Amino acid sequence: MTAVDVAQALWLLVAALGLALSVSYAGLPVLGAGAFVAVGGFGTALLGPGGQGWPIGIACGTSVLVAATVGYLVALGASRLEGAYLALATWALAWLVQRTLLAYPGAFGGADGVTLPSPAHLLSPVLGLDLVLTPTVHVVLAGLVVVTVLLALVRLDRGPGGLDLAALREGPALAASLGVPVASRRRVVLSCTAGLCALSGAGSTVLLGLVSPSDVSPVVSLELFVAVLLGGTARWWGPPFGVAVLTGLPYVSDALARSAGVDAERSRSVLTAALLVAVLVLRGPVGRALARKGPPPQAPLAGPEPRAVTRRPVLLRASGLSVGYAGVRALDDVGIVLRGGEVHALIGPNGSGKSTLLMALAGELGSDVLQEGEVEVAGVRHDARRVQDRVRAGVVRTPQQTVVMPRLAADRQVAVGARGGSRPSYAVLRHLLGTPASRHRAQEVVVQRALEDVGLGHVVGADPQRLTAGDQRLLQVARAVATGASVLLLDEPAAGMTADERVRLRTVLRRLAGNGAAVLLVEHDMRLVGEVADRVTVLDVGRVLTTGPTAEVRANSAVHRAYLGSGRLAPEVTA
Amino acid sequence: MDAGVLLQVGLAGLSAGAVLGLVALGFTLVAGTVRVLHLAHGDLVVAAVFAGVLGVLGRTPVASLLGPESSVAFVLLVLAAGAVLSGLVALLAIRPNLPDVATGRPADALGWVAGGVAAGLLTRAVLGLLFPRQGYAVPDPLRLSSLTSDGLVHLPGGSTLPARVVGVLVLGLMVGVAVELLLVRSRFGRSLRAVADDPDAAALCGINAGRVVLLAFVAAGLLAGLAGLLDAPGRTVGVDDGVVLGLEGIAAALLGGLGSLRGAVAGGLAVGLLQAVAVYAGGASLQDVAPLSLLVVLLALRPQGVRR
Repeated sequence: MTAVDVAQALWLLVAALGLALSVSYAGLPVLGAGAFVAVGGFGTALLGPGGQGWPIGIACGTSVLVAATVGYLVALGASRLEGAYLALATWALAWLVQRTLLAYPGAFGGADGVTLPSPAHLLSPVLGLDLVLTPTVHVVLAGLVVVTVLLALVRLDRGPGGLDLAALREGPALAASLGVPVASRRRVVLSCTAGLCALSGAGSTVLLGLVSPSDVSPVVSLELFVAVLLGGTARWWGPPFGVAVLTGLPYVSDALARSAGVDAERSRSVLTAALLVAVLVLRGPVGRALARKGPPPQAPLAGPEPRAVTRRPVLLRASGLSVGYAGVRALDDVGIVLRGGEVHALIGPNGSGKSTLLMALAGELGSDVLQEGEVEVAGVRHDARRVQDRVRAGVVRTPQQTVVMPRLAADRQVAVGARGGSRPSYAVLRHLLGTPASRHRAQEVVVQRALEDVGLGHVVGADPQRLTAGDQRLLQVARAVATGASVLLLDEPAAGMTADERVRLRTVLRRLAGNGAAVLLVEHDMRLVGEVADRVTVLDVGRVLTTGPTAEVRANSAVHRAYLGSGRLAPEVTA
Repeated sequence: MDAGVLLQVGLAGLSAGAVLGLVALGFTLVAGTVRVLHLAHGDLVVAAVFAGVLGVLGRTPVASLLGPESSVAFVLLVLAAGAVLSGLVALLAIRPNLPDVATGRPADALGWVAGGVAAGLLTRAVLGLLFPRQGYAVPDPLRLSSLTSDGLVHLPGGSTLPARVVGVLVLGLMVGVAVELLLVRSRFGRSLRAVADDPDAAALCGINAGRVVLLAFVAAGLLAGLAGLLDAPGRTVGVDDGVVLGLEGIAAALLGGLGSLRGAVAGGLAVGLLQAVAVYAGGASLQDVAPLSLLVVLLALRPQGVRR
């Protein structure tokens, strides 16, 4: 292996590391890495010595910035939807770039590409620098970039950034409900990927003195994708391993092509497709084999005593809430007041609007849903319907279904909540640059406290999928608690719980209220409601049937009728 | 611009658009039923055509006139190849990554995206081994050129169009409308919509959701075959042309508001027209660049489809 080969492999590794950030750390299927490599390669060549004659450093930096912007813009729409759209968008970009390069031979040199003088000089009049970029210098430069990026990735994964990435990867919808700005994180991640890929393209272009469309074709994009997938999820050694395989690929495909007497390009495509299929099939089993086994959860411990809270301030007040989906009026002029220190039960038949009310309070109803009324959190009006804003104001909802981020230990899941709720500015950057991690330690305390509050102090490092259904429900509550929310909107936390677990839930709910939170509990089990709730609101066909202290509501005959279904309700009873 | 030329460019664009409409229809059918973006769809169009070529003419085709039997065999072979290949993609690449109620397996978007892309890449690579040349002329089994005696249609304003182009426009639109009606009215169409709406509920109503999904892919494959039959004889076809054709179809489907069959046909016409106008105004370089740019911009701005 010559120095050129080594330098080329190292530059390729830069692209693979960049792509790994999107694919294996953030779970974004990016199929167009080649497009960003092309922007870097052709940009540096055409702005620099192969065209405009700018100094190489400036040409390279500009191309990297352009690629990062393109990455950001491509993710603009697709980052709001599920990952498949990002795959489509980047795949389309890969082909657009390829066809553009070939369609304008005057500008991009057609199939031959653009050449530039080699070895190039890195000049800096200011520093009095004139560095001849020999292959050995390339090895050093690319090696430095690789080491820096690797160290950054490893460090990123251990800090708040790793938590964000894990949340994006394992449960974007859930992370969004806990206040993590999923769409903008995705854009930033793709932007970084694009920048690193462009840097890689620039590096190998300057190294070889040539860039051609076949170096950045969609097949190359797929090869990089395969290389990254080979290493599995969020493992720093994945990209180096993948690039080692990629470097060997041409030798194998050439040998195959020679022995079968076919086109080398075609044989490489077949090999890439076969590798992609193999990686997809093996992904599951290999991932399971590599999974770190956490300690098995032990018997539940008694949680801490509630902090004594005597005041019961109004934390959330909603009035005149009306919500209509495509012709259906799900809520009709509903009002509700939640006080700190109280458990407020929301009951009503199926379809009465309980979950809709919770989503409206949490700001989760999209702008396409017709909605009227006011929501005040701690006396401040919240007109904008953004989940993130509500979470930061202290309102969090847990979904009706159990949602677990499958490959994230219990305490890390709760930490996602802690991160969503309090978002220290530039935490990721500050962690990367090594400023003191005091906030990080504070966060560990929050996580531990939230787990103990829900009686899960013993499951810290456990694999969430090995928890019982009831513990998974409690973990869901712990994630919400960790956001620091003062208003907890719990949609049927008791669903799927055994009788014993319901008793534990009762203690947990009283403890949360005792700590000063306002708990809104959707529940069908009237016994649990009777035991735990201070107040009850009854919904029926989108209206408030009655609201008041638990004992009063239990005695209300209209409620009995609504639940037992003896005829429609007379209008005078609802008043 | 001269009115005659305008008409010529416009009709040629709409004709190409009618073909794109069929591609978009197949894509929409799958996306609407299983919420899967069928990324190998365009490759199947080209693969179906080459399967017909392989069966009837062998590995070195010439664009000769086919006899009646060969024509029928060619048409049937192309349609069957489209259907079978699409079904295979569904079974091998897509289905293992769809959610499964029985085992509680969640959907794996990365799996079906990569599976679809791998299927397309494999299709291209295998075809490339069998047909190594850059492009091939494919005979027209439907003989659309002989619709008029001189093979031309004379337009008002003195310009002319190949009769094929007009034939493709009329046939493509007729098929598009027929498929749309069929899917709205027929029992199969109803079960498709039921599965699209809620696969679990559809299964409870006695619909075999797995089979309906497979049939959606097969129907999409038939449409791919049809699109290939209309499109391929008009130009030289290379084995790599499928991807971009598929992406153009996706642009059309998004433009029509992903999920609407009528929208897919209309979106196809719009993309075809855009392409023709762009090429007329900006040169042949824009042939692929214009629709691909449209797709990238659409995905950045309105990824959920334009009409929603």
